[in-house]
Amino acid sequence: MNSTLKDKITPSQAVVIIINYILATGILTLPRASVEKVKTPDVWISVFLGGVVAMIAGVIIVKLSQQYPDKTFYQYNQDIIGKWLGWFISACVIAYFFTISAFEVRIMAEVTSLFLLEGTPTWAIILPFLWVGLYLISGGINTIARLFEIIFPITFVIFLLVAFLSLGIFEIDNLRPVLGLGVVPMLKGIKTATLAFLGPEIMLLLVAFMYPSDKSKAVKVVLAGIAIPLLFYVITVVMVIGALSIEGVLTRTWPTIELMRSFEIPGLIFERFESFLLVIWIMQIFATFTITYYAASLGLAQLFKKNMHPFLYGLLPIIYIIAMTPKNINDLFTFGDKIGHAALILFGVVPITLLLISKLKGKKA
Amino acid sequence: MKRIHCCVRLLLVAMVTLLLTGCWSSKEIEDLGLIVGTSLDLETGDVSSEEQQDARYANRQLLTITNQFVTSETTVSGTKEGALPEKAYKNVSETGDAVLPTLRNMLLKVDKRSFAEHSKVIIIGEELASNINLQQTLDFFLRELEIRPSGLLFIAQDQASQALETNEPTKIPAFQLVEMMEGHERTTKILPPMTVAKLEGKLYSDSSFLLQNVSTENGEVKFAGAAIIEGKTKKLRGFLNESDLEGIAWMSGDAKGGLVKGYDEKSGTPIVYEIISAKSKIIPHVKGEQISFTIKIQSEGRIAEHWVLSDKAFDNQFLKKAEKVFEKEIERLVRKALDKTQHEFQTDVSGFGNKLRIDYPKVWQKRKKEWDQTFSEVPITCEVNVSIKDYGTSGD
Repeated sequence: MNSTLKDKITPSQAVVIIINYILATGILTLPRASVEKVKTPDVWISVFLGGVVAMIAGVIIVKLSQQYPDKTFYQYNQDIIGKWLGWFISACVIAYFFTISAFEVRIMAEVTSLFLLEGTPTWAIILPFLWVGLYLISGGINTIARLFEIIFPITFVIFLLVAFLSLGIFEIDNLRPVLGLGVVPMLKGIKTATLAFLGPEIMLLLVAFMYPSDKSKAVKVVLAGIAIPLLFYVITVVMVIGALSIEGVLTRTWPTIELMRSFEIPGLIFERFESFLLVIWIMQIFATFTITYYAASLGLAQLFKKNMHPFLYGLLPIIYIIAMTPKNINDLFTFGDKIGHAALILFGVVPITLLLISKLKGKKA
Repeated sequence: MKRIHCCVRLLLVAMVTLLLTGCWSSKEIEDLGLIVGTSLDLETGDVSSEEQQDARYANRQLLTITNQFVTSETTVSGTKEGALPEKAYKNVSETGDAVLPTLRNMLLKVDKRSFAEHSKVIIIGEELASNINLQQTLDFFLRELEIRPSGLLFIAQDQASQALETNEPTKIPAFQLVEMMEGHERTTKILPPMTVAKLEGKLYSDSSFLLQNVSTENGEVKFAGAAIIEGKTKKLRGFLNESDLEGIAWMSGDAKGGLVKGYDEKSGTPIVYEIISAKSKIIPHVKGEQISFTIKIQSEGRIAEHWVLSDKAFDNQFLKKAEKVFEKEIERLVRKALDKTQHEFQTDVSGFGNKLRIDYPKVWQKRKKEWDQTFSEVPITCEVNVSIKDYGTSGD
């Protein structure tokens, strides 16, 4: 039922899906991950350039998908590079999607059990999350998009609110000098920053779901979809480093939550704001989890040309098991890095190769 | 197919609601002992328990930790009879060689569940700070989740646990310290608050810094200058008194409000200047290997009090004269503070290194390892510019 493409989404829904997909773990860990590489206050420039790199990759992905406007990546890649190779790449992409979905679930469980639900067993945090996700996805892409449309404005408003409340402990000196040690340190951070922008790859599938008249807008969609998270990330990095300084960020496991815990505003109805951040963050993780889960099930359904539901239920235990695999938090972070590297190959190298091949083929024909 | 799907969904909703009932590990507020302040001291006296004696034999330093608890029994509304308890707080001490095990040993003495989410202050005793690396002492506080990084840090002259005592029955000393800290807006003799969050950056950047010093006299807690923590060793180096702090505040531009007291040259009577705004700019100069600094201080304010009978504030001549007096006084304060930090303690606590880092990052990279040493030898010039805007409601 849902593996057919009857479900349609509008361009603005597509934008919101990309935004919600991109915003996830990065909000909490990007300041530390990038400072580790850069070691100067120029991190925000790296993040900015990382976003630009992601935009370029995003545009390539869209261009590729526009070659086959009515098919998803899983369907058209066999047209380009043949049945077996296409099948193999699809399988890799599917594996990538459900792995990332498991990763998000686990990160969510770690943070919640640390900051919110101390003493609650991990399975009790993960299971409702998985079930609610399953419930949502069984409604199809349009249902997902409508939920994301609700999540996004809430995220936007609350995020800006808490970010600017932290201005009280912001010190501009922590962000100076700009490019004091030249551009080399800043360049080192671009890869890490780019990995925080995982998400435009969903356009491999989304273009097929857009209304035929809107398909030409897909480039604009992906650019807007990356620009807004870019803004979020730059604000986060600037605020966190401005308050905690480079050295202070380096040793923090979750620097952004640390920032929110570092100030209290007496007199307002709320004095403490980290729970606000966690609320929107969990919503964002949920969004990323559901869209990747959906992408993986859709892939399986289209690969085997079957109905989506059996795959949906079948993937659930697999996601749970993968989520529980990393032994400790360091393992989990390394796991995240590995997913990132897989993404660089799958969505950096593969789409442009496919695009070139299809162009060449097109000319021949 | 559709029927099955519907059933599955229904089942999902049912299962989720089962797990979402909440209160999984709730804690009743009546059963909590809220920790509002913690003090840490070096223990040099006799020890009793086997654990402590073992530590002593192994030559490990022992610390005494005192937690200030506020419980439902210490607060007035908590007691059923409405009778006033003797004290609004309850201090519990315990000794050990690491922080958390010592805190856990308090379980043996306290009936309430300790809860540190509302911890406001951490006070470290003089002896402990000068013997043990702060990063080690505070590791637990930086790591523990229940302790918020918005808490304030103090150094206590003598015993830190004394700073958590008061004679007044209704006061909670930990809260008192936090409120006293707000006075920093109105005087240059109190440092801007140092939170645990800010401390972290300071500790890991190996730069020297100041912590507000607390002293106790006759059961009265008082802010008395600042403690210098040396960046390299992260131990207490020495103390600055209140007037040194004034100099530091002028240098680093932290003077948000406060007074400058000068004396009229002719009559020797006091004139008092109240700061409306103060700005300072530390400008580094690098010529080859030679580093030097210029401090430019600009302040606006008003005459808040003057005892000079011969002059009137309506007279611009007098204002000019007064400005000169204050400029001199501020320069004297700055010089004095510089002299102490540069020569007596040889530590940079007023952000000169930071300015060098910003303006000459490459020079800083080379010099940062030995910065405190370098700082003690650099020439520093000081320019002060005071302008008096008004003189209150009396023109006399």
